[in-house]
Amino acid sequence: MTKVVGTLFFLVIITCNVMAHHSSAMFDKSSVIEKKVTVIEFQWTNPHVWIEVSILNNSRTVDFWSIEGRGPNSLFREGWRPHSFQPGDVITIRFNPMRDGSNAGGFIGAKFEDGRILGQWPEII
Amino acid sequence: MRLIPICFIFALALTVNAEELPDWSGVWARVEGNGGMFDLATTKPKDGLAGDEGVRQYPPLTDLWEKKYLASLELAAKGRLPDPISRCGTPAGFPRLLALPDVFEFIVRPEQTWVITENGPNILRIYTDGRPHPAPQDRWLTYTGDSVGDWNGEVLEFSTVNMIGKDKTILDRSGLSLSSEAKVKTRMYLIADGLLKAELEINDPIALTAPWHVVRHFTRLPHSAKAYDYACAENNRNPVTGAGQTLTLDTAGQVIDKVVDQ
Repeated sequence: MTKVVGTLFFLVIITCNVMAHHSSAMFDKSSVIEKKVTVIEFQWTNPHVWIEVSILNNSRTVDFWSIEGRGPNSLFREGWRPHSFQPGDVITIRFNPMRDGSNAGGFIGAKFEDGRILGQWPEII
Repeated sequence: MRLIPICFIFALALTVNAEELPDWSGVWARVEGNGGMFDLATTKPKDGLAGDEGVRQYPPLTDLWEKKYLASLELAAKGRLPDPISRCGTPAGFPRLLALPDVFEFIVRPEQTWVITENGPNILRIYTDGRPHPAPQDRWLTYTGDSVGDWNGEVLEFSTVNMIGKDKTILDRSGLSLSSEAKVKTRMYLIADGLLKAELEINDPIALTAPWHVVRHFTRLPHSAKAYDYACAENNRNPVTGAGQTLTLDTAGQVIDKVVDQ
């Protein structure tokens, strides 16, 4: 499932310049995409964490996406842990897409099947 | 043999005892700064974000530096402003280090104060043992420069010179910078329990027409908070090209971007 949420002012405020180590110019911060995905790998590393996910596309083949988060140090202080995402987890994830349409994005929030949330997940969007 | 009398002189110059120093222990986070701008007071439009069209700061820039800033703003708007700290291992330098994300530690001793940024590598060493800045023949430009100062009650006052400046450092993601002639006077003190204030007066005969005053605040995090390693090269999947484009790599190190500048 893919859902383009559109322009969300408050999400833009939250996600802007979250990339401490490099410019976030490659992300379209005026757009938010929501996808239901399966976690392949969670890289708990500096300078950024990465959530590698797969998604079944309309052609019934699998696409692989790389979702970039902030650094693990600040995320840990906000409640994240090195194994917050496990391979095989099915989650709904929101991110700012790449401007050039490539399969990557800047993390905004994730919702697990049991309702747990990491990051930002306003109910009204 | 010469070291002994010099050290003796420094020791005599100490004006405070350890028990008279303020408690700046713990881990601190910046208060200002979610927009990638160094000086929020002169940022227009207010709450504007670095790199967005029409967003900039208004320090008292000389004509020369205004032209440089406009060129940087144009690159930032295109996503092509190379940030030195994107190259892992390059310090942000002073005074930018006071505006970094992640956390800070302030280690206070009578003879010296250290400002350590988790988002490193940055250690600002402020000597308060009475020594002056080095003589001209003993100076070279560095990222954090040379800082000396003294305690005025519970206020740490220090001056910083010899910063490497333009082309090696920037102040923020809008591309604002200083020249290597910049001098910064800083006052740091607690304004409330757990709230630290830094007042900066920046003078730069090349970049500025008048003193530029910038204020930053830091808030102390709960006792359980810790600082951690920031190993930027551990898994840097965002190299920057010579053209200033930040790339994104997949787990195998291949470029994900569909569009790469030639």
